[in-house]
Amino acid sequence: MTALGDGWYLVDDGERRWRVAVAGDGDTQWVFVDGQVGTIDAPKTGRPRTRSRETGVMSPMPATVVAVHVTPGQAVSEGETVIVLEAMKMELPIRAPRAGVVKTVACATGDLVQPGVNLVEFE
Amino acid sequence: MTPAGHSSGPVHRSLGGGGIRRLLIANRGEIAVRIIRACRELGIETVAVYSDADAEAPHVRAADRAVHVGPAPARDSYLDAAKVIAAARASGADAIHPGYGFLSERAHFAKACEEAGLVFVGPPSSSLERMGSKIGARRLMIDAGVPVVPGETPADQSDAALEAAIARIGFPALIKPSAGGGGIGMKIVRTAAEGPAAVAAARREAKAAFGDSTLYVERLIERPRHVEIQVFADGHGNIVHIFERECSAQRRHQKMVEESPCPALSASVRHAMGQAAIAAARAVGYRNAGTCEFLLEGEGDTARFYFLEMNTRLQVEHPVTECVVGVDLVRAQLAVAGGEPLPFTQESLTQRGHAIECRIYAEDPAQGFIPQAGPLLLYREPQGPGIRVDSGVTTGTAISVHYDPMLAKLIVWGESREAARVKALAALRDFAVLGIRTNIPFLIQLLQHEQFIAAAIDTGFLDREGAAIAETTVAELPAAALAAVAEHRRISPKRPSAAEADTDPFSTLRNWRV
Repeated sequence: MTALGDGWYLVDDGERRWRVAVAGDGDTQWVFVDGQVGTIDAPKTGRPRTRSRETGVMSPMPATVVAVHVTPGQAVSEGETVIVLEAMKMELPIRAPRAGVVKTVACATGDLVQPGVNLVEFE
Repeated sequence: MTPAGHSSGPVHRSLGGGGIRRLLIANRGEIAVRIIRACRELGIETVAVYSDADAEAPHVRAADRAVHVGPAPARDSYLDAAKVIAAARASGADAIHPGYGFLSERAHFAKACEEAGLVFVGPPSSSLERMGSKIGARRLMIDAGVPVVPGETPADQSDAALEAAIARIGFPALIKPSAGGGGIGMKIVRTAAEGPAAVAAARREAKAAFGDSTLYVERLIERPRHVEIQVFADGHGNIVHIFERECSAQRRHQKMVEESPCPALSASVRHAMGQAAIAAARAVGYRNAGTCEFLLEGEGDTARFYFLEMNTRLQVEHPVTECVVGVDLVRAQLAVAGGEPLPFTQESLTQRGHAIECRIYAEDPAQGFIPQAGPLLLYREPQGPGIRVDSGVTTGTAISVHYDPMLAKLIVWGESREAARVKALAALRDFAVLGIRTNIPFLIQLLQHEQFIAAAIDTGFLDREGAAIAETTVAELPAAALAAVAEHRRISPKRPSAAEADTDPFSTLRNWRV
């Protein structure tokens, strides 16, 4: 990862290099790569977003599980880190969307997980 | 100032701008910047005008002088003819270029310039008046032998007379209320047998909707292409056409992609359209750059064309012609307005290769193309051989709700249509605009659509298929994008709090689109 200045970054994912532009200092960042544009909202400081209808957490992209912090039956609080993923040589904590009790854990350390699949489900 | 020929300084002489010394550009955005560039080449001083919303705009920074003409709403600034002419007088300008839009086709403005002793870079006000009325222009074109969409309001409105009119005009025909609009009472007649029922129904609906049962009959042009011919005339009796541009890719009459040559034109039809456009320009005593718009029915040698209207100004899509023919239309406009003859002859003009223009709009294709307003947080144009970007924005520019949502035009040239298409795609993928949504993701999908690849786009294509194409713009971003966002947050000097240092973009991802 090299910051090229003016919001441009050179990201090496081990297979190829990407030139990515990022802009926005506030709660929302805009990102550009290869003609694609997206926005990312930063979570509100000290008050993680409540998504009461969610029954689990999933990875938004292919990633490797590097740590599992919970077991079935365990109570977790909102915003607590339940799994740590790694992608792009970076660790990315996955947090509980709400307070609850862990129902199932569907992954283990070292697993390569795909997007759209629940990794931890809550009761 | 150093007089011409002075030994110790730069030599000042006319570089092709005729008698114009100082030009006021009565416009904003990319076209104002484009005109200022041409003036630089010609040694003409430039005067920008600006509203409250544009004080820091690129066109204002690019000009030698700038005059404030009012508040942000266009009607109180760029559309206020008296203020613009006062600005020209106050700044010592001797000519005004209206660009496109705003005051460019207002005969009263051209006339006011003429009366104020200012050179209007465009046609005489009399040409604007004659082309300004659609009905009057249609009559003029018929008299000049320029084909128009066949149609008439029969004086005798009896069943028999209307059916005879339908047969005269040809099938498929369209019957519609003379007083109408909005598609009410419009009936398509494909065979003579359908005539009586269609006439009866159209008459009933016309009477009910407009209180007037008078019917108009015209030929229905199905799935036409929009093909326009660039014409240019000087004050010395010279008049040329500079070939065609196809602009069929339009959404609700808003052009999105233009190209030249038109893939559906044979050499003989191209020649015939060129001659028709010249005849149209001659019929209204035209001078300077203009464009005749036609509907094209069919393709190849059997294609038929019909005059729609004449745009009495420089067109947004003029760079397509500049790239394919190798001319500078703005430079030629200034030369002709300054009294010089055309810098080219008909015989010297040829088309080479293929050019495509993509208009970059501040609008969100995923939300029904609603216009976007706000600051451009990051703006970077693509570069490379055969790539041209005409723009009026930069990083930091605030896109205002007061004006047209067009930010820029990407124009590419390639040896063939396919070469131009893939170059345009690569350039679009390298065009970074952050802070507001644009139609760039939509353009990327459109240029890969099989109908576009096959050059089989008619004027209704985007209205039929636009929503479906917009849906294909939603896709997943590579993980590299997320990694860069995390790094940006880490090193960004204005981080709101330490608690955000370990927030992960993964859990808050939304709205990814190609």
